[in-house]
Amino acid sequence: MTLLKHRPSFKLWVGVLAIGVVIGIAGALNVLLNGHSAVYNVTREIPWGILIATYVFLVVSSTGLCLVSSLGHVFGIEKFDFIGKRAIILAILTLLCGFGAIGMELTHPIRMGLYTILSPNFSSPIWWMGTLYGLYLVLLCAELFFLMKGMHKGAFAMGMIGFIAAITAHSNLGAVFGLLEARPYWHGSFLPIYFIVSALVSGGAIVSMIVYFNHKTTGEPMPQKYEDFMGTLGKLQALFLLILVFFVVWKIIPGLYGHPPEKYEATVAVLSGPLAFNFWFFEVMLGLAIPVILLLNKKTRTPYGVMMAGLSSTVGIFFMRYDLVIAGQLVSMREGTADLVGGLLQYSPSVTEIAIVIGAISTCLLLYTIAERLLPLESDH
Amino acid sequence: MKNKRFAMVLDTRRCIDCKACTVACKAENDVPLGPENYRNWVGEEKLRGKYPNLGQSNTPCQCQHCGNPPCAHVCPTKATEVNSDGIVHVVADKCIGCKYCMTACPYNARYYNEETEAVDKCTFCTQRIYAGRLPACVETCPTKVRVFGDLNDPNSEVSKLLTKYPSRVLKESQGTKPYLIYII
Ligand code: SF4
Ligand code: SF4
Ligand code: SF4
Repeated sequence: MTLLKHRPSFKLWVGVLAIGVVIGIAGALNVLLNGHSAVYNVTREIPWGILIATYVFLVVSSTGLCLVSSLGHVFGIEKFDFIGKRAIILAILTLLCGFGAIGMELTHPIRMGLYTILSPNFSSPIWWMGTLYGLYLVLLCAELFFLMKGMHKGAFAMGMIGFIAAITAHSNLGAVFGLLEARPYWHGSFLPIYFIVSALVSGGAIVSMIVYFNHKTTGEPMPQKYEDFMGTLGKLQALFLLILVFFVVWKIIPGLYGHPPEKYEATVAVLSGPLAFNFWFFEVMLGLAIPVILLLNKKTRTPYGVMMAGLSSTVGIFFMRYDLVIAGQLVSMREGTADLVGGLLQYSPSVTEIAIVIGAISTCLLLYTIAERLLPLESDH
Repeated sequence: MKNKRFAMVLDTRRCIDCKACTVACKAENDVPLGPENYRNWVGEEKLRGKYPNLGQSNTPCQCQHCGNPPCAHVCPTKATEVNSDGIVHVVADKCIGCKYCMTACPYNARYYNEETEAVDKCTFCTQRIYAGRLPACVETCPTKVRVFGDLNDPNSEVSKLLTKYPSRVLKESQGTKPYLIYII
């Protein structure tokens, strides 16, 4: 297996990302010209689609990067120190692109800026979401500033507050779903906790890719320091993944046991209904099984193996977000709804929605690539 | 003057599924065309019995004007408000289109109105009732399924109906305290 053994050539990489950005812009223009309802597949009954899922995916990645990087400059695990700047830059970019994705789903992002301040509703988890992620963004920027200036005390302080903000904002994101009593598949305290755990997995996975590709530029061998780091990260990542498996299993069992109304139908939709392929192939196989096997086996826990595990789980995690957002809405809220298939509502993303997703992710990666070129990101410890 | 507590009492036995209420509501409230755009609907319940002994009921429905409205709790900008007479409504200018209220409402009473660029739902026809008229769906219903009035007034028709007959609300276990009340 030599797939992606080396970093793709810079021109090819930037070219592919630029195409992705153009696709995204085309999608966004299509929305602006034709209106949401003409080009999106979200409905009255399934109002949140793949853009919300992408938003969740991107901000989970951001939180994860912040948490994993704080292992170094907040919790003092020295091995993790050198990823700080890169992780924080990417945390900022994933967060911004996540805002971009949800901005395309909202119909009035500008009103949002105005009325969240003029007419705040403190009982709304989305109000808190905007406020806390806004605060988190400011803290990340401050942390990056101190890191770039080499001001370690400032970076430590910002890292510490940033860590708390990340946990607060992110568990609140779980609450955006978890506080909806109308949606039994989401309702409860499970999601806020689960989001934190899955952020750790996301963060670890992305860090493994950053470190690997950064040091495979010209095909020269990886410095010992980075090899060691990848080994440690691999073990840690295996632990995170196994904890996540535990969460996945305990999400399913209460959904099936005793057929709790609405929760049961949604759980079955994931296990053997319209989301089953996503679940078994992407979530279970790519997201969990393959990475766990790669990481627990000493022979495959090489830098390359750890990176591959990271890539695989990142793809899987995207589908975890998608399935979570959609499954919660598949059960109709009322009797006698027409157009049910197998007792469930239907949603599949439109071409425009997919284009915007591609655009958001490509923009994020392209900006990161540029940042890496322009900024001095090597650590000076 | 004492506040009102507006409510609607419905007798589903009389409903003949003619959908005049939906048409009247769309016309009265400028609801845009399109299959997803409506403030009220007639739910068709499951068939009962075996051929040739069959039965079926219809449940006309709309926003429940909940006493404990999850849509208002979750709205980040307070675009969804409850007025002093218990009417839950959306201030279009404040709505950011996050659709959180649509995921929070257990009755699917809301839709996104592309023309007002805001989420829209039944308002109990405020423009009519404060002018002393009945809501459009109530006025049009040929079999008088729907009765509208003030529950704070013990002599109103709705209060009397609820004294006379046992009643139910939809999805009571959600704790939303609906004010669309069915006497059968
Ligand atoms: S029925 Fe739905 S829209 Fe109406 S008040 Fe209750 S929760 Fe809100
Ligand atoms: S869509 Fe509008 S009314 Fe509904 S929660 Fe969002 S801002 Fe409030
Ligand atoms: S009360 Fe008015 S707005 Fe509400 S369903 Fe009836 S006609 Fe429509």
